[in-house]
Amino acid sequence: MANISFNAVERVFHQGDKEIVAVGGVTLEVADREFVAIVGPSGCGKTTCLRMAAGLEKPTRGTVSVGGVPVTAPGPDRSVVFQQFALFPWKTVTQNIEFGLRSLNIDAKTRAERVKHYIEFMGLAGYEQGFPHQLSGGMQQRVAIARAYVLDPKVLLMDEPFGALDAQTRVVMQEELVRLARKHPRTVLFITHAVEEAVYLADRVVVMTRRPGLIKEIVDIKSIRERERWDQVERIEDVMDQPSFVGLRSHIWRLLRKQHAGDPQ
Amino acid sequence: MNAVKNILNVLVSVAGVLLVWLTLTTWTGIIEPNRFPNPMEFWVSLKQIALQGYGNGKLHQHILQSVILVTTSFLVASTAGVTLGLLMGASRRIEAFVNPVFLTLRPIPPLAWIPLAIVWLGLDNSAKVMVIFVAAFVPSVINSYAAVRSIETPILEASAMLGIRRWLHWKEVLIPASLPLIFTGLRLSLQASWTTLVAAELIGALLGLGSILNQAAQDIYPAMILVGMFSVAVCGWLMTVLLGLIERSAMPWRATP
Amino acid sequence: MEGYAINSLHELSRRQWLVLTLLGASAFIGLWYFLAFIGVTPQKFLPTPLDVVQRFFTLSTEPFVGMTLFGHLASSFHRFLSGFGLAVAIGVPLGLLMATSKVVDRIVTPLFESIRFVAPIAWIPFAALWFGTGMGGPVLIIFMGAFPPVLINTYRGSKYVDVKYLEAAWTLGASRFRVMTEVLMPAAVPSIVAGLRVSAGLGWQSLVGAELIAASSGVGYMMVKGQQSIDTSTVMSGMLAIGIVGLLIDILLRKIQERVSQR
Repeated sequence: MANISFNAVERVFHQGDKEIVAVGGVTLEVADREFVAIVGPSGCGKTTCLRMAAGLEKPTRGTVSVGGVPVTAPGPDRSVVFQQFALFPWKTVTQNIEFGLRSLNIDAKTRAERVKHYIEFMGLAGYEQGFPHQLSGGMQQRVAIARAYVLDPKVLLMDEPFGALDAQTRVVMQEELVRLARKHPRTVLFITHAVEEAVYLADRVVVMTRRPGLIKEIVDIKSIRERERWDQVERIEDVMDQPSFVGLRSHIWRLLRKQHAGDPQ
Repeated sequence: MNAVKNILNVLVSVAGVLLVWLTLTTWTGIIEPNRFPNPMEFWVSLKQIALQGYGNGKLHQHILQSVILVTTSFLVASTAGVTLGLLMGASRRIEAFVNPVFLTLRPIPPLAWIPLAIVWLGLDNSAKVMVIFVAAFVPSVINSYAAVRSIETPILEASAMLGIRRWLHWKEVLIPASLPLIFTGLRLSLQASWTTLVAAELIGALLGLGSILNQAAQDIYPAMILVGMFSVAVCGWLMTVLLGLIERSAMPWRATP
Repeated sequence: MEGYAINSLHELSRRQWLVLTLLGASAFIGLWYFLAFIGVTPQKFLPTPLDVVQRFFTLSTEPFVGMTLFGHLASSFHRFLSGFGLAVAIGVPLGLLMATSKVVDRIVTPLFESIRFVAPIAWIPFAALWFGTGMGGPVLIIFMGAFPPVLINTYRGSKYVDVKYLEAAWTLGASRFRVMTEVLMPAAVPSIVAGLRVSAGLGWQSLVGAELIAASSGVGYMMVKGQQSIDTSTVMSGMLAIGIVGLLIDILLRKIQERVSQR
């Protein structure tokens, strides 16, 4: 079971004399193989939550657990896809994807097969020996996703992964991600600014407020998606035209706007 | 609070080094006394040279001799160097004309001028001045040149558009914009001057920090060698700090690095 | 319109550049000849440029104080490589280690800082004391000159690696050793190579200094012997040789630096 549990998690920063409450008190359950997106304004703590699940930061109070085990350090069971790709510029595409695998006890043959599978699946065939700087942003993020996925992680943590891509590439990547998640489902925590993206990809959308970072509301997408049969609609633009989609999107937008109008909660 | 922390850090580090030194010499004798002195011997020699004198003078006389020599040569050389560098940077014509000479002489390390200086000027101070001049001149030229060349074009264009005449342009735009890199050049020039002086004094001098080293080497007096090295390091460090202070006051608009 | 105010923007045509360069070169050589001929100093003190060139070629074929010019150069270069190689072999791993381990950093930094400000030349007395006239002496001096830039640049290059690469490596489960060798070191390479360039320059300079005082072969030694017999052309030939080799080393490292920054 690979679920993520946030238990009354708080994260407080100290900047000189000031105390900044990045995450005020978050309790959240991400079920096994559930795709949960967190949206919210800058500074609402959504990225911090992901980093705590990754083990890159420690909560000041409360615990984050994955599969029942508290998170203490980063590891390949919770691989991360970063907004800035973070591909190693001095390694080829293949070497990048292979990087995490080499720390696991897998023989070279199996490794090569797994890498090949994901290279083909992510449409990277022909670029195996290329270097990151030779690839476009979209291609680089595909490599980053392959690199994270090839480890067969329990949990996939994605920190605004499409934020650095242009609008068209972004849409293509969203479709790709859906395709990937259908083929190899796993627990995903997805951080984004873009409400449409969240509604399209996720089973549930968590809306957070800022300073302190708290959960305002959790919107269930999956039941509506299945009821309205979005998967029967071919193209992503058409899905986003569905009244049910628009309704969900507007609802979440309104939740976010309330914060900017000065409403404290 | 931070200042106190820093001072404590330094004290701890110094204490640490002393401990290592004592351990290796007095306490275990891993390092033989005739190869490297222990702290006590160092202290005795330091007192000796400071109070009684060694090699033609007391410590402060040696220091004064070296520092004055370096400072005067450095000032003359860097003024000339900065001027030439700025001119070369500002005018492609001057750059093209001067380049042949400069590029030929530049790869020659300053120390390599010592034999020539001795042939031409003998073993007294003028030879040292010549070598220090060469050492300090080159970095100043290079960095001042780079400073002018790296001024962003929009700034130069703005100056031209405002119809500023040449003198003002230099005084108010070119030089201030070049100051950071000029100071980098000055720092390098100072280091080079100092190193060259010590070398020149090692070879032939009656007075000066390098001469302490030379004399101590001949007398096979390790503790005094260490005193010489220590003095060289401290003086060099102090001069760098002083230059840093001047730099900071000359460019108050800069955030301290 | 005060065109002079923006003379920094003024570019030369290829022809202008060529003419001015030739003018500058001729002025230099002309002045040299002039000074040599009017006998500002006796002939031996200031040979003409031609004299120097002739002496350079003579030295290439006929031995002087033991070896031909190239023999001396080889000897110098051998010392340089040893000192420089040692500085790199110790400096790079140590810098990496210091960047990754606070303990090592705390221990090494004070020791390094106390030695760093001592001009490499100042080590000559101890070098002579410990190594006599053997090769160890000059190698120590060269090491003292070449070591600081290598260590500092490796340290800074690794310590200030963009944290996103480190986080990526950690989340992918890499061990500490793998992070150091597969992430830190490659990321630090541009900084390390820049350090190597400075280091080589300082090492070559220190070599010259060491050979002027404590050697019995090498180009520096050759120049000292020339100086002692007031053989200025030999001294100048030595300067020329040193300049050329130093330049070649720097060009080589610059090419490496360019290759490395291409990604």
